[in-house]
Amino acid sequence: MVILGLETSCDETAAALVTADGVVLSSVIASQAELHARYGGVVPEIASRRHLELVAPVIEEALATGGATLDDIEAIGVTSGPGLIGALLVGLSAAKALAWSRGVPLIPVEHLHGHVAALYLQPTDLEPPFMCLLASGGHTLLLDVQDRGWENVRVIGRTLDDAAGEAFDKGARLLGLGYPGGAEIDRLAKEGDAEAFTFPVARVAGLDFSFSGLKTALLYAVRDLPAAELEARKADLAASYQRAIVRALTERIAEAAGDGPIAIVGGVAANSALRAALPHATAAPLALCTDNAAMIASAARYSARLESPAFLGLDAHPQSL
Amino acid sequence: MSQATNAPSPSPMQTILAFDTATSVTACALLHSGAVVGECEAEAKSLLVAADSLVRAAGLQPSDIDGVVVGVGPGSFTSIRIGLAVARGLALGLDVPVAGAPTFAAFAGGRAVIDARRGEVFTEDGVSLPGDLIVEGEVLVGDGAIRYRAVFEAAGAVVPPDDDPSHRPSAALLVGAAGHFGAAADVLPAYFREPDAKPSAG
Repeated sequence: MVILGLETSCDETAAALVTADGVVLSSVIASQAELHARYGGVVPEIASRRHLELVAPVIEEALATGGATLDDIEAIGVTSGPGLIGALLVGLSAAKALAWSRGVPLIPVEHLHGHVAALYLQPTDLEPPFMCLLASGGHTLLLDVQDRGWENVRVIGRTLDDAAGEAFDKGARLLGLGYPGGAEIDRLAKEGDAEAFTFPVARVAGLDFSFSGLKTALLYAVRDLPAAELEARKADLAASYQRAIVRALTERIAEAAGDGPIAIVGGVAANSALRAALPHATAAPLALCTDNAAMIASAARYSARLESPAFLGLDAHPQSL
Repeated sequence: MSQATNAPSPSPMQTILAFDTATSVTACALLHSGAVVGECEAEAKSLLVAADSLVRAAGLQPSDIDGVVVGVGPGSFTSIRIGLAVARGLALGLDVPVAGAPTFAAFAGGRAVIDARRGEVFTEDGVSLPGDLIVEGEVLVGDGAIRYRAVFEAAGAVVPPDDDPSHRPSAALLVGAAGHFGAAADVLPAYFREPDAKPSAG
């Protein structure tokens, strides 16, 4: 028996099939990145329109590539929040209709739980407890994970301003790179000297993060360089900027975890410098770092199942619960 | 695409679920052998609560549904998508065809005027400022007619009292106006407006 996962919280329309033991049978991701690139960020209404076009085709493709039919689906897991409300409602509405029509339970999943649950899929199959850094375009959280459910996960640190992924995106924009910015900076940083510029990262109290000062420092560095030199030193700027973000993240998680086990998830966990800086951390596989539906199906395995009619009136929620 | 006139007519659809989520009132209806079995209203997010109660009250199961009729808008973008996403989910889950109908068809008793927000209204002619519509001598119904009652009445239109049923959509009315039944993907939203191309904060 198989769980169908569905994810439409931002700009990826994704569907996946995952078995009860966490084997990914298929994971289909229709990225809209190109659609939003010319705006330098995700346009909610454009994203929602695209989700409606793609939601049924991605489910059909997940079934086809997973070698399954709807008869094999025992439950449907779907992201109910947080995210863009109009985008979430497309996936949630389609999932509710599908579950009702098939007579199977619906499992509403917290998107952030999904990111962590990427670690519970085969072959990673990480067993809590561990300290988890969840870093993406929308979130930067330090999580104390005691078990695979979401109720007992404790947030012990969070960003006070920009998310780490947002810092990458904004930095990329300042350097005239493409969107999404994380991958662009990662690529360019490989050609640069990470020691070339010193970008200070604010040390805030406790285990929280702050990245807004960092982009200002980059803005000043870019502004102070003559145009000709800027082009030549772009790689150095990217490398130094990336190092500052990675250092802030790694210092905090080391502080929180001590000698205990560490894991990293979310889009920023795909960053090669962060992965290299945390050699002993368990990282989600690259394909499961950015938004996908396999992680949602995985989280659904550890979340409450709702039978009809309990799920029929379910609403999406834009903010974290 | 034209159809051969001597093609056998498809067997009449027994059970049809019809709904419209585009305006401020979501309407849902169940039809059996061409007759309306039940109709009810809900919020868009509770569309399936309404559908479930209609199907159960008729002593049926979701799997007894043979076809879906959905109002494609115009109205609120998000609400239109809730209806179409449900239609696509049902089409996939039940392997049934879908037909679309303009949301205007869900109104009887007058010319439908739908609130388009931003001080504008949707009519079958498109998006307009309420004051720009020529409505003299006409009966206007729908949430846009109520909202701009003063403007329309000053222009010589008749707008029934706010609680008059003609202001609320009827999903059963959509069925008569629906296009042909086919793949859900071919039933497209009628947004009537381009999206605001502004990235989300952050």
